[in-house]
Amino acid sequence: MGPRALLAEIFLRVLHPALLLASLWILLRGHNAPGGGFIGGLLAVAASAAVALTFTAAEARRRLPLPPTPLAALGVLLALLSGLPGVLGGHPFLTHLWFIVPLPVSELPLSTVILFDLGVYLAVWGAVGGFCLSLLAAVEAER
Amino acid sequence: MEALLASAIGVLTACGVFLILRARTFPVLLGLTLLSYAVNLFLFASGRLHLDAPPLIRAGATYTDPLPQALVLTAIVIGFGMTGYLAMLALRALAEAGDDRVDPGKDS
Amino acid sequence: MSLPGANGGRATARHEEMSAARSDAPLAWTAGASALPWALLPASLFGLLVGGLISVPLPWRVSWRWIPALDLHFALYVDGLAAQFLLLITGIGTLVAVYGAGYLAGDRRRWRVFTLLLLFMLAMIGAVSSDHLLLLFVFWELTSVLSFLLVGFDHARESSRKAAQQALLITGTGGLFLLAGIILLAEIGGSYSLRQLIAAAPAIAADARLPAALTLLFIGAFSKSAQFPFHFWLPNAMAAPTPVSAYLHSATLVKLGIYLLARLDAAFSDLPFWEYSLVGVGTLTAVVAAVQTVRERDLKRILAWSTVATLGTLTMLVGLPGHGAALAVAALFFAHALYKAPLFFVAGNLDHGAGTRDIDRLTGMRRHLPWTAVAALLAALSMAGLPLSFGFVAKDAMTLAKVEAGVFALVSHATLFVGSVSVAVAAVAAIHIFWGRDAADRTTHPHEAPLPMLLPPLLLVALAVLFGLRPTLVDPLLGAAAQAIAPSFDPLQVDSSYDAWPVAEASIATLVFGVLIYFGWDRLHALLDRARDLDELGPESWYWRKLKFVHRLAAWLTRRLQHGALPGYLLTLAGAVTLMLLAALLVAGAEAAWPSPAPLPLPVVGCALLIAGGALAAVLVRDHLVLLLVSGLVGYGSALLFLFTGAPDLALTQFAVETVFVVVAATTLRRLRQMPAPLPVAASEARWRPLALLVALAFSLALSALLLLAAGLPFDTQLSDFFAAESLPAAHGRNVVNVIIVDFRALDTLGEIAVVALALVAALPLLRRAGRS
Repeated sequence: MGPRALLAEIFLRVLHPALLLASLWILLRGHNAPGGGFIGGLLAVAASAAVALTFTAAEARRRLPLPPTPLAALGVLLALLSGLPGVLGGHPFLTHLWFIVPLPVSELPLSTVILFDLGVYLAVWGAVGGFCLSLLAAVEAER
Repeated sequence: MEALLASAIGVLTACGVFLILRARTFPVLLGLTLLSYAVNLFLFASGRLHLDAPPLIRAGATYTDPLPQALVLTAIVIGFGMTGYLAMLALRALAEAGDDRVDPGKDS
Repeated sequence: MSLPGANGGRATARHEEMSAARSDAPLAWTAGASALPWALLPASLFGLLVGGLISVPLPWRVSWRWIPALDLHFALYVDGLAAQFLLLITGIGTLVAVYGAGYLAGDRRRWRVFTLLLLFMLAMIGAVSSDHLLLLFVFWELTSVLSFLLVGFDHARESSRKAAQQALLITGTGGLFLLAGIILLAEIGGSYSLRQLIAAAPAIAADARLPAALTLLFIGAFSKSAQFPFHFWLPNAMAAPTPVSAYLHSATLVKLGIYLLARLDAAFSDLPFWEYSLVGVGTLTAVVAAVQTVRERDLKRILAWSTVATLGTLTMLVGLPGHGAALAVAALFFAHALYKAPLFFVAGNLDHGAGTRDIDRLTGMRRHLPWTAVAALLAALSMAGLPLSFGFVAKDAMTLAKVEAGVFALVSHATLFVGSVSVAVAAVAAIHIFWGRDAADRTTHPHEAPLPMLLPPLLLVALAVLFGLRPTLVDPLLGAAAQAIAPSFDPLQVDSSYDAWPVAEASIATLVFGVLIYFGWDRLHALLDRARDLDELGPESWYWRKLKFVHRLAAWLTRRLQHGALPGYLLTLAGAVTLMLLAALLVAGAEAAWPSPAPLPLPVVGCALLIAGGALAAVLVRDHLVLLLVSGLVGYGSALLFLFTGAPDLALTQFAVETVFVVVAATTLRRLRQMPAPLPVAASEARWRPLALLVALAFSLALSALLLLAAGLPFDTQLSDFFAAESLPAAHGRNVVNVIIVDFRALDTLGEIAVVALALVAALPLLRRAGRS
């Protein structure tokens, strides 16, 4: 295994998952600190773009959880669904509900907001990532 | 501070408008990008500028107006989506017409 | 449809007629049976209405809340006037559906006619039962649109299209005036409810804006009811199929304007402005239409012009003060529907059976269309206002009204003339066509119409005869309608029995003149034909000239604006926005103040320099890759600015977007660089350049000035304070920006991510096909 291949392996095995984890962390902290679905999603796009530039667009596409368009659609759908529990509770659409789950040590706040922000994250990842990967794939095809 | 930013936005707008009136696709694309930056800054500045006072709720802290920030944040992402779409349109036109002029056939 | 050899002796001819009728019959019957469901709806509505009128006393009131915040209610109100309209709308609607089944038998497009007719009927019902004026307006415009579709039914013919367009343009434009009048009237009267407006009428009679409001309403009502100078669309609308004409022009569409005027008469009849306008325009319309009638040779167009004359008379009667006038409006309206609809049916039967509506080619049709002849004769008796017909009752009421109101001699003479022409038209329709010398064109084999086309006219004339013999039968109906027009009217005083003969004098004069016009029809026709150059001065030729002008203007504008050059489009757009910005500045500039100068923090100065420098460099460089990089400077400059001025979320977003954009675009640019040598700058760009520079500078100056002025204004923190205060307690979040995005304005965000996702879906096929080629 040459040094280039080794670096590539490290990048794929370590750096890419780390970037994605970071993007998820940005997503989850967004409610109380700078961050959120848009920024997290863009970070995930950056991670995918990095894979596409280092290897190929096809490789980056393989590393997405879903193909870009379904990923974006899933995001929009999640955001849409997160508004429904509120409707069932008799509130206007997209009224978010909060459940504080008591834990032995602390308490865990659960909310439909997290579902909504996850939807934003996936939609941005799928749509913006889809743009970048398609452009890069077109350029590769030209070569 | 407002006057300074207003002048910068003015320069940015003028350059953006001038670029979109070019005859080739890539400058037009970047002109639109510059214009969207200008509009974002304009929106942001209309919420007034404060140094170093993020809209995070902390004990005793002041904060800037959060509403323009929320609007601009989504506008940045949407603007990027639009740029991506235009880029693909330009590439398609390039593949079909063989050159990157905005008005193929006008002068040829 | 008829058998050959129909030109034998009388017996054979009769035999042929019968066989012709019989050969029609199966087709007509199946069509009639299949059209039954279409007649069912109006028939059942008619039944319900009659039952309701017998068992539930008027007025009926229904109201549903629609948009309470705008004082908009779905309020219906049915009094005597509305009930009379409803009876005719549903009753004649039923007959038209039956007639149409015969008339359009075998025509594959008949379902479209029936559907449109039913929708039209529902719109008419809505219009005459609305109490809320805006609701009335909505139904009013619906009838305009539906009549456009009905008149233009035969859209393969250019004349149909033009007639439909004319009807829509005139009644639609009139509708806009009506809307303006309604709004102004509601402003004056403080309510959109007809009831409340009528109740408030004495209080607002002195308001200076009232004449303006009434003038606007007049334009709307006159255009709908074909009053001068909007009268010409109605005869042209005869391009419609005959059942449609019979429905629209006898009982429904064109009476809507009269309905509105009669409705408001209760409020404004005492105003001289109201009286003089209506009497003047109505009389003028009636006379113009009566003259035009004599110029026609097509039976349907003759009937159309005589309808316009009747509408003018109705307008005049609405304008006349007094109880007698109110009763006359109700009676004439009812009588006209009962004789005009059968006459239109007769015209349709002639068209169907003899293949023409030209009165020169239609004579002696009695032998070929005997039942149609009966209907025509009885309808004509009513139209001429001969004794023992219902038309006589109406004419009686009219004469009494004129005596009571003491009209000017001019108006009196005009009505005499119009009445005489009515008599002449009745004579043409009945005597000339059916009882004249039998010189029919034998090659057309005239034959009687099938049963579905005979029943409706016969039924209507039978009713007219019944009401003519026993006028007291309809007294309650006419009395209730007259009471709605003139509230102080006592319905019990209506007595149409034949004891009021002093008016016979006027009737005899009308009859004599009518007979003279009938015999002089051809000579009058030739005389008026010589004066046709005068048409150039009329409103119709004005309409056509203006229409041509609109077409030319549209063509010119399209050539100027849609030239196909993108820089030109963008220049127009940017120039227009600049002008609007400058106008806004001019308006606002006087009261705004420039912000006071403040110390400049160094980081912000750096960011501003980065942004401005990057932008300037972007204009100057020619290499695309360098252009991309310097535009990146602008992006990073904005991101830094966000970071320093308390917007970490924006800074993060902008950094991420900028990085991805520059890297991906740089990679893509490599493809463009492999292109054959870049083309020289297009000549068009050089031509645009000075103008582009000017527009760019003006635009940016206006924008900067606007921002500075905005910064000088006091800041309204109400909204921001709300978000900041509610963020933690209501939405459990400390990052207010994120809370706004995902919670307070989540619906916006949902739309935005959907847009981004859709942009991808729209863009992907572009690239896929570009890659293939």
